Amino acid sequence: MRLPPRLRRFVLTAHVTASVGWLGAVACFLALAIIGVTSQDAPTVRGAYLVMEPAAWYVLVPLAVASLLTGLVQSLGTTWGLFRHYWVLFKLLINVIATIVLLSYMETFRFLAAMAADPNADLSQVRNPSPMLHAALALLLLLVATVLAVYKPRGMTGYGRRKQQRRTELPRQRMASRP
Amino acid sequence: MADPPRSPDTQPHTTPRWVKVFGIIAAVVILLLVIMLMTRGPGGHGPSRHTGGLGRHTLPASLTDDGV
Repeated sequence: MRLPPRLRRFVLTAHVTASVGWLGAVACFLALAIIGVTSQDAPTVRGAYLVMEPAAWYVLVPLAVASLLTGLVQSLGTTWGLFRHYWVLFKLLINVIATIVLLSYMETFRFLAAMAADPNADLSQVRNPSPMLHAALALLLLLVATVLAVYKPRGMTGYGRRKQQRRTELPRQRMASRP
Repeated sequence: MADPPRSPDTQPHTTPRWVKVFGIIAAVVILLLVIMLMTRGPGGHGPSRHTGGLGRHTLPASLTDDGV
């Protein structure tokens, strides 16, 4: 199925907006995580971990899901396809893996927020390097996905090659079968 | 995903080097993750896996049964 040009442009704009927005949001989370680990101000440290969970639900998760859905529509609605080109396949894998890890990490955000809200918890108990590590890795993954989307390195999968062959052979067969 | 600025159908029929490099890196990363998860024991991907951070962590009352 091919999307009409106007709709294709709209979905592409939505996909770029969601994907780059996700990248920016992860960069903000990395900054928050560094503040949580390094700041000497107790309310700032607790505040950093408290804000992570709602910010992840309201920003990270919607952007991740929007990026995945618009990417699926965009690839299936154009000649690129979903499994025909390695760069599209790698982007899909990055998107799916990052979204799954994010959703499974929401439980950890809840734990960290509860720890930060506990007045009996010492500041050394509130601090946790895990969000910093996860945000840094997510940033790296999303940067790789962005580079793939911009450069579109060449390379077709076996499935893509077969589809291409079929497409070039069909018109020839039709021409040959004509009386 | 992107707008196709060039024809996607005019590409050589070999697996490019970048795909092999990406594949090796991805395999190594996935293997490391699996090893990390396995060494942390069963159920190692819950909040408890983060209790070995900068300080000793105990679950806050709001996350335990007694605290509800």
